[in-house]
Amino acid sequence: MNETLEKRHMGLRASRAISNTIIYVILIVMSVIWLFPFVCIVLQSFRVESTWQVGYVIPQKWGWDNYVALWNSDFKRWYLNTFVIALVVAALQTVIVLCMSYTLSRFRFKMRAGLMRFMLILGMFPGMLTMIILYRVLKDLGLTQANAVPGLILVYVASSGMGYYVSKGFFDTLPKSLDEAARVDGATRAQVLTKIILPLAKPIVIYTILTAFMGPWGDFVFARYVSFGTSAGMNVAVGMWNWLTPDMINQRYTMFCAGGVIVAIPVAILFMCLQKYYVEGVTGGAVKG
Amino acid sequence: MKKYSDLEFLRLSKSEKFFYKLASFFTSIPRAVARFFVGIWNFIVKKIFGTIASEIADVFLTFKNGDWKTRGSYLVMGLGLIARGQVLRGLLFLLFEIVFIFYMITTGGYWMSMLGTLGRVGPHEEYNEILDAYTTVYGDNSFKILLYGVLTIFFIVAFIYTWRLNIKQSKIAQEYEEHGRKLKSGRDDLRALVDEQFYKTLLALPLLGILIFTVMPIVFMILVAFTNYDGTHDGFNNALFTWVGWKNFGTMLSWEGGGNVYSAAFGEVLTWTLIWAFFATFTNYFLGMFVAMMINKKGIRFKKGWRTILVLTIAIPQFISLLYVSKMFAKNGIINGLLLNWGWIDQAIDFWGSTAHNALLPRIMVIVVNIWIGIPYLMLIATGILMNIPADLYESSRIDGANAWQQYTKITLPYMLFITGPYLLTSFTGNMNNFNVIYLLTGGAPVNPAASSAAGSVGYTDLLITWLFKITTGAGAQYYMASVIGILVFVVIAVISLIVYNVLPSIKNEEDFQ
Amino acid sequence: MASVKLTKVQKVYDNNVVAVHDFDLDIQDKEFVVFVGPSGCGKSTTLRMIAGLEDISDGTIEIDGVVVNDLQPKDRGIAMVFQNYALYPHMSVYDNIAFSLRLQKVPEDVIYEKVTNAAEILGITEYLMRKPRALSGGQRQRVAIGRAMVRNSKVFLMDEPLSNLDAKLRNQMRAEIILLRQKLDTTFIYVTHDQTEAMTLGDRIVIMKDGFIQQVGTPTEVFEMPKNLFVAEFIGAPKMNVFTTELVREGGKFYVKPFGAKIEVDGEKGELLAKKNVSTGKVILGVRPEHMVLAHANEPGAIPCVLEVNEMMGSELHLHVYTEDGTRLIVRVPTIGLDSKEREELVNGAKLYVSFEGKVMHFFDHETNENLLN
Repeated sequence: MNETLEKRHMGLRASRAISNTIIYVILIVMSVIWLFPFVCIVLQSFRVESTWQVGYVIPQKWGWDNYVALWNSDFKRWYLNTFVIALVVAALQTVIVLCMSYTLSRFRFKMRAGLMRFMLILGMFPGMLTMIILYRVLKDLGLTQANAVPGLILVYVASSGMGYYVSKGFFDTLPKSLDEAARVDGATRAQVLTKIILPLAKPIVIYTILTAFMGPWGDFVFARYVSFGTSAGMNVAVGMWNWLTPDMINQRYTMFCAGGVIVAIPVAILFMCLQKYYVEGVTGGAVKG
Repeated sequence: MKKYSDLEFLRLSKSEKFFYKLASFFTSIPRAVARFFVGIWNFIVKKIFGTIASEIADVFLTFKNGDWKTRGSYLVMGLGLIARGQVLRGLLFLLFEIVFIFYMITTGGYWMSMLGTLGRVGPHEEYNEILDAYTTVYGDNSFKILLYGVLTIFFIVAFIYTWRLNIKQSKIAQEYEEHGRKLKSGRDDLRALVDEQFYKTLLALPLLGILIFTVMPIVFMILVAFTNYDGTHDGFNNALFTWVGWKNFGTMLSWEGGGNVYSAAFGEVLTWTLIWAFFATFTNYFLGMFVAMMINKKGIRFKKGWRTILVLTIAIPQFISLLYVSKMFAKNGIINGLLLNWGWIDQAIDFWGSTAHNALLPRIMVIVVNIWIGIPYLMLIATGILMNIPADLYESSRIDGANAWQQYTKITLPYMLFITGPYLLTSFTGNMNNFNVIYLLTGGAPVNPAASSAAGSVGYTDLLITWLFKITTGAGAQYYMASVIGILVFVVIAVISLIVYNVLPSIKNEEDFQ
Repeated sequence: MASVKLTKVQKVYDNNVVAVHDFDLDIQDKEFVVFVGPSGCGKSTTLRMIAGLEDISDGTIEIDGVVVNDLQPKDRGIAMVFQNYALYPHMSVYDNIAFSLRLQKVPEDVIYEKVTNAAEILGITEYLMRKPRALSGGQRQRVAIGRAMVRNSKVFLMDEPLSNLDAKLRNQMRAEIILLRQKLDTTFIYVTHDQTEAMTLGDRIVIMKDGFIQQVGTPTEVFEMPKNLFVAEFIGAPKMNVFTTELVREGGKFYVKPFGAKIEVDGEKGELLAKKNVSTGKVILGVRPEHMVLAHANEPGAIPCVLEVNEMMGSELHLHVYTEDGTRLIVRVPTIGLDSKEREELVNGAKLYVSFEGKVMHFFDHETNENLLN
């Protein structure tokens, strides 16, 4: 009897070892697949023997030529545009989202349920639909083409109240009795927000700033609409997209790689540093629906 | 259908239980839909009409019982409040009234009068005596008429609401005076804005932004679907545009004479959009969960390292990663280059397809690349939820004799589905509108020859949303068709959400983990 | 130091659920009043209306003669201790207690004086620099009380302050609240679902059910003269035995006939029955477990029972028995009156007899459940 037990024990251990090995193999293969494009893009950005697409990964001649070419192109301007947009949007959007979500989480006013349902329905309309008119309105205001940056900021920030959901979910988890205790202690509603809730909301504030900051780096559609072919008003996504159109790709492919590296590095580093908060926000948001 | 009691149900065999549940699921759909429409009907009849009726009645009653101060407020807004000492509020009402009247007289009236036709005089040639030649003279501007007409309607509604509010407050002020209670002063009002009325302060700016930059454009674009606004009828430079009724919907859904290009394309694009949304959502969901479970498994090391590698696709802006991947798989891209070098293939594979007969490959490719983009996100979510599943559920199931697979199907999966049900819905609708992945990867290609003559040359991987975009940027710029598509997307999403919200909870009760 | 007066206070929620009906109560200056009742009875809602955390649907609340309906919580001169303590997690104990004083812009040295003084009284001086999460449940409770103490408020509100503590700590904190009350010497309103807390703490107890006040009275009054069956069963542990029986009048004397026995209603209760001229017939009879005694078979009024469960509580036994018609009763028997042989006989399934006297009986109308002697 002892022997069979021993055998079972061995079997258990062996099967666990096998399944772990399989998992390691899968994870290693996945890591290779996930990293491959990024390794390629970095290596290709240092390739100087040709500027078009090639069928090998390791450059034959290495050099900084692509980065130098970037420096001499409009890329600087695009980068600055995007950075300014991202910074301003991160600040303003965070304020608006926090106002919205805190209010909907804590106040019980007459229109609250109706307002939330209304915004849910609004969200079912594809945002792209409104681009045409927003473009025309911005054009009338003189905020397109070379002036696209303030125009984009205005549009991004103005509609950001719709994205209250994740942070409202977070505020809902803070006990209401904290608000009540503070109000009994003599705080006004505004003081409750600034002295009690905001200090406790650090994770969600960081999450909101992070997502608001990352958003403009990737926006492509509306930014292209608003800049409308004027290089001075483009963000990196619009400018670099043009480099990969069929008539440009053979001259600009490696420059695109270099630009991609320059764009990705700061954003990725910021993201990796604040990953913890991002994960909290994302999982909280999904659980809350 | 026969209804079983709980005890009867328990006696059914496994397959009988399954079919009973299936049948009750489908029989509950019509009821849910009916309930929804009854709800809407009740909302319209009772809530809206009821409210309007009682508001009107109250307006008359207030006038009847009002003193001269209250009655005066009917004409001069804020009079009753100013006369009773609530100067700040009263002045604000008065100011609003003055601004409104001034606006209506100067411009608002013009926009409203033109709204019915969207302009009478278009651009035309006129003899110019000074130049002694015919020159183009521009007339009305349909676009502005529609835009400012909508704005003016918003303004009028706001005015009516404010007028009503003014009467209500005059009435309250009068009652307070009669009962000898103290009215709130302007200072009290201001103080309340950081205390019990703080929500008004907080919401003012966000809601104003949403109203102007979301609600108004949507209303405008819905109206555009009923006009002939396009590149050649731009409303000012080329020609005016005007109302055409339901014609555009007829073209899209082909009740205006069958066999047109739009309806054929619409059917295909909608089908692919739904297929795409389904696969994009569920492949990511299950694979992401699977990856999360692998990484979280006891005994697997470098958990943080694996996660960090995967999360790279979230950290790097999509336009870089997607554009780059799209080029990697191009005919002369790096993947084909490597495969050729290694001798695995002797001809470059056309991953993104260029002709109709290999349309399946690009469709599979976008789903596969979407997995690459989407798994990390789902992995993060699944990790968070998996760690929240109470460990004693697993312990007790192990004592009950469940193996790993049974634990997954009986505990992990139901728990995940229950918690993430609403998330799946938003993820599905989000994927229906997933512009970035499609546009950056394929741009909609390969072009569908059957439907290509429809504006914007639709392709096999085009979603409704990318089609919409193509139409607005295409040669004809048929904005009215774009907005028809937008409205139809809304309808599809609304219907799906409605069914899921109404039907799911009833069958989810049994999996209640709360 | 203030009186609190509630007049016809109502709470109706948006979905038309009425949480509190016509609540009338006069609370004297420096009185300790306890609201008690099962969950959902409206006791917390009433307290929160006094605090200003819930809107008052109808009626008025006065504190010190001032109608406070439209006042914000901070302007009502109240202090409150919450069930989950509601300590601000990002502040130290010192800052938690000082928070309200800082909002009033009290000078820092006065704050120091007051906070350390309160901490002294509550015995939490050594934890002043800690964050709430580094404290045990009892310590958190003290901080919450300290926070309320320093406000020098007119009324002290407590919403189930002890229900998150374990049984032992709860007893200890209960005693400390009694001491605190002597020190603070102010008006207290205390909400609990625990009748023991209500009985030991309150000068007066307000018993509520489904939004209605059932009875207001001192602990002795509600215990000895419960207004209705609900109060009778709610107050006292284990709860009162109740059963339907026949009340008969023979020759000027009242008798009840429970379970085949016939017991005379003598003493005070009998006189009261006669004085009120209570009509005979079906009544609900209530007898507290401690008023039932073990009897011998041949004693008059002895009811035959079978022992089901015997709970040994130390100083007494709780005997769960059932009569011949299946009615379950509980009998509290002091262990001091039993020798070891008698105790050994009390095994499950044992046949025994119980009886009770007339003066301990409570009579309730079998339809309205009102006390017949009221």
